[in-house]
Amino acid sequence: MAFAGEYIFRARSWRRILRFAGFATVALLSPSTYRPATRELAVRQIYYTAWQVLPGYLLFSSVLTLVIIEIVFSAAREYGLARYSLELVLRVLVLELIPLLTALFVALRSGAAIGAEIALMCVGGEMEDREEAGASPLHDELVPRIAGAALSVASLTTLSCALAVSLTYLVMYGFSEWGLPEFTRVVAGVFDEAVLAGFALKCLLFGLAVALIPVATGLEAERGNPRSVPSAVLGGLVKLFSVIVVIEILSLMVKYV
Amino acid sequence: MESKPESGIAGALLPRNLGVRVGMLIAATILVAGGFLLYVLFARGVFEQTQRVILIADNAEGVRVGMDLTFSGFPIGTVRRITLRDDGKVRISVRVPVTEAKWLRQSSVFVLDVPLVGSAKLRAYSSNLKDPPLEHRAERTVLRGDANAEIPRMIATLRQVLENVDQITDTGSSLQESLKSARAVTERMAGKYGVLGGVLGGDDNARKVIASIDRANALLASLNGVALKMDTVLSKADQRVLGPGGVVDETQKAVAQANAILGEVRASLKRVDGILADAQAVAGNAKAATTDLAALRAEVEASLRKVASLIDEINRKWPFERDTKLKLP
Repeated sequence: MAFAGEYIFRARSWRRILRFAGFATVALLSPSTYRPATRELAVRQIYYTAWQVLPGYLLFSSVLTLVIIEIVFSAAREYGLARYSLELVLRVLVLELIPLLTALFVALRSGAAIGAEIALMCVGGEMEDREEAGASPLHDELVPRIAGAALSVASLTTLSCALAVSLTYLVMYGFSEWGLPEFTRVVAGVFDEAVLAGFALKCLLFGLAVALIPVATGLEAERGNPRSVPSAVLGGLVKLFSVIVVIEILSLMVKYV
Repeated sequence: MESKPESGIAGALLPRNLGVRVGMLIAATILVAGGFLLYVLFARGVFEQTQRVILIADNAEGVRVGMDLTFSGFPIGTVRRITLRDDGKVRISVRVPVTEAKWLRQSSVFVLDVPLVGSAKLRAYSSNLKDPPLEHRAERTVLRGDANAEIPRMIATLRQVLENVDQITDTGSSLQESLKSARAVTERMAGKYGVLGGVLGGDDNARKVIASIDRANALLASLNGVALKMDTVLSKADQRVLGPGGVVDETQKAVAQANAILGEVRASLKRVDGILADAQAVAGNAKAATTDLAALRAEVEASLRKVASLIDEINRKWPFERDTKLKLP
């Protein structure tokens, strides 16, 4: 942990991330950011982050869902608690595991790539040149990527959760419509207003963390110093993982403690 | 200001209908999320007309918001709110869709069942579905079937029972002593003299009893001989007393003789009466009278002797008559 701690416990870096997050969030919310060029960049980001991995990720989440459903159902049946297994699957899989895994997946696949891309731009001096030329690299380059990555996380989470819910129904009741009333009742019990709001907030925070932190740490790379790139990218990933874990723990604490 | 053209290979790999694909993805995401949200809202009864049932319980333990109210195992309502009233009772507000409200009648009973394992269950029972329906915001008391609450009571009783059992089975307890005595008795019973030895407390006593029984048997045998002899004696006595020529027979004869003698006495006395009358009539003829008197006296004396001997005879033969006096006229 000493290795990771070197990146995590760096207060200056966190302050920079927070400041960048503030700027970026404002830019994300301002409509003037979304010009055709930035939109295209965002679309491209979504294409790389979500569309390309969608089949593979849906397959992965289906297999994971089936395995977990099987484990939970057989264990619950063994203890005579089969009637609680559906609720357990929905709570564990849909509300906790799939959003977390999606965030980690996108962080691994795209967070590192975005961080490296931004770091390389910094090393090449592209950012500074643009700023000096009066352009805003934050609006032109960074915010579209952040928006794209955040949307990708939301999209992948939504689709894989929907798939998991459908698979749970199919495993539990087969292709019969008669399980629907009971299933609906359990869904109503699990997804109350507070849980739904918490779920949406958690997905949003995961998406922002996955998009913002690699970009913010990528900016730490020094101009003309290619050796600073791995450090910036690695630092971004470590911070990203720690933030994802903290968000998950906080959400669990709020919900169950 | 213009976005930097995608450098090299990455740009060349981008498909032409990129925007369409990403648009489809975003649209699918929005559709799925919106659809799921609508489904959840539908599941939670947002689009349904509901009516409320207020349940009053002593204890809200096990009750939670979102838990079902079931009828015949089917969920027909959901707990929406639990509050503590000023009088310390719990007010459970249950929302029942109007379509399901037909199962709740004015005579319905509500039970909160708290099992040992698993969550509590709120159940409704309607014995008569023809009763008038339960009105909106009706208040009903909940009966509580709590297995957990029974446990401490049961444990207290069980502990008492176990203490009693402990006392009973303790060394030196009455049961142990009784069992020891029973064992001693059964050991004696298993001995040479069996049950008799067990009852009498030892073989010596049993031996004495058996000896006494033997003696009693011998005594009975001799008594049997005595009884036989007695029987013979009695039959002989019977013959002597009641048989022909026996005591009774002789007595009858003697009585007959006595009757005859008494008749003779009566005739003699009648004659005496006549003679005395004659004597009175002929008082003057003393000589003749004296001669007659002498003869008469002789007759009277002879009669009296006969009577005396008869009475002696009767007394001899009839020993039961004690009055031996004979009254003469």
